[in-house]
Amino acid sequence: MELIKRLGLNKNEVGNESHIAVNTDICINCTDKPCTKVCPAGTYEEDKEKILIVHYERCVECGAALLACPYGALKFHYPEKGISYMYG
Amino acid sequence: MDYDVDVAIVGGGLSGLSAAITAAKNGLSVIVLERGDYSGSKNVSGGRMYVHSLKRLVGDKFKDAPLELPIKKETFEVYNNGRKTTFSFENKENDNSYSVLRSKFDRWLASEAENSGVAISYSTLVTNVRREDGIMVVESNRGDIRTPLVIESDGASSFVSRYLGLSDIGMNYKMENVKNLLGNNNFQAKNFMLGIKEIVERKAEDSAGEAKTILGLTDGIKGGGFVYTNKNSYSIGLTLKMDSLESNNIKSHEIIEKYRENLGMDGKILEYSAHLIPFYRYDYLPKRYDDNLLVTGDAAGFMLNDGFTIRGMDLAIESGMIAGNAAKKITDSKDYSDTYIYEKMLEDSFVLKDLKAASKISSLFGNERTFNVYPSIISNLIDTMFTVTDSPRENIKNVIRNEIKNNNISYFTVINDLLKVI
Ligand SMILES: Cc1cc2nc3c(=O)[nH]c(=O)nc-3n(C[C@H](O)[C@H](O)[C@H](O)COP(=O)(O)OP(=O)(O)OC[C@H]3O[C@@H](n4cnc5c(N)ncnc54)[C@H](O)[C@@H]3O)c2cc1C
Ligand code: SF4
Repeated sequence: MELIKRLGLNKNEVGNESHIAVNTDICINCTDKPCTKVCPAGTYEEDKEKILIVHYERCVECGAALLACPYGALKFHYPEKGISYMYG
Repeated sequence: MDYDVDVAIVGGGLSGLSAAITAAKNGLSVIVLERGDYSGSKNVSGGRMYVHSLKRLVGDKFKDAPLELPIKKETFEVYNNGRKTTFSFENKENDNSYSVLRSKFDRWLASEAENSGVAISYSTLVTNVRREDGIMVVESNRGDIRTPLVIESDGASSFVSRYLGLSDIGMNYKMENVKNLLGNNNFQAKNFMLGIKEIVERKAEDSAGEAKTILGLTDGIKGGGFVYTNKNSYSIGLTLKMDSLESNNIKSHEIIEKYRENLGMDGKILEYSAHLIPFYRYDYLPKRYDDNLLVTGDAAGFMLNDGFTIRGMDLAIESGMIAGNAAKKITDSKDYSDTYIYEKMLEDSFVLKDLKAASKISSLFGNERTFNVYPSIISNLIDTMFTVTDSPRENIKNVIRNEIKNNNISYFTVINDLLKVI
């Protein structure tokens, strides 16, 4: 099942403001982009120009973002609303 | 000293609720601050709870606990290149562990806490904790709470420790390492696993649960898999080492997709979830007490994963209960800098004893051979044993010897690894 569909199974109340900040000045020089591999929600993607885009609305608040970037370009805090699991 | 409550507990998961129930029973005034709309709404576990601590926490109420199924059967599945080796063990009498779904379970435990006089403030995100005139000020989106004692039960990401360790957190791009943690560099990828999980619909009406441990389906990433049977669903998932994920070339959400397909599970998917899991080596566990602060559960790194059992939930409940009892002693003594008492109590309990005992096996679970080499050896060995061709059959001893040689590891290493398990 496609990731976006899988994420769609969850109840996620997305706020208007992103709870993830990224310093793209650092990402420009990052070739491997480990954050894109680690995040289980596909929150981080590289666009055609190799710029990092952050789909914060996909985030399931697992906490991996706190460790995903070895270069300190990601800043993450919990959103006020966000995910509510039915099973967990 | 002017304050609002005796104890403020950050996080209404298993450890926070256990601390709250215990502290309230001890006569303390307690508030729990939980960021979810209800307890459990943000929480994920594989889903097998060893219930010994829960029984002591809730006593007679245990029979009402919304557990799923008692685990009567243990199965190990080792996958390698399209081959699969299975070991199973069944004990119909076994009822020391149950499958559990946290959304339901934590909500129930929260109502038990409320029945014991605990106040729980939901949808309350703690955004900072600071010391002021010998007490703690807990800041949240719902306002400040002043308390002499904070119990940190906020799970693996342990933001409270971060807040206390960092004054200029807003200025930093990275939430840096925490000052009150040993060595000051604990918050690193190598000390964590990522848990990814799916709930898959189950039609069968069997009332005995099974716990499966799966090796060899993680695409070369260090980690393992699990399948637990619930009443009407399966919990399937992976625990993957964060550093291994970072240095490999496959996306975590693709690994679980392939995992489910390899397991042959084709039921309806009902939920997709993920959560960090602490994976500290024993000697590097974070410090779990400070002035005005006791740290419990995942936030303290209390997670035991020896490759056979994953235990975080009973350790969370137990450390919560211990913190609730320590809180009483500290409150009575009025010396909020003497929180070492909590550490002493942890040392006397199974929490630190079991973690220490398991630390050797954890090192086995942390090594490459467990995930790549041994599954291949086991599969090749059994494959050879059951393969009959025209050529004369190899002596089993030679097969083992060749396997070990071909995989470029020494006997010493194998024996060393084996000794960690025994
Ligand atoms: C995939 C997976 C499989 C696992 N399998 C097992 C297993 O089979 N058996 C087992 O025993 N353990 C297992 N574990 C581990 C187990 O889930 C944890 O050890 C356990 O949940 C820890 O409980 P806790 O109370 O310390 O933390 P949590 O359950 O994480 O609770 C923390 C609480 O704090 C709240 N919170 C966090 N930050 C804030 C804040 N800033 N403000 C307000 N509230 C906040 C959260 O919403 C949450 O309710 C597994 C974990 C995962 C992820
Ligand atoms: S956030 Fe970090 S890991 Fe991701 S692209 Fe930017 S620098 Fe690289």
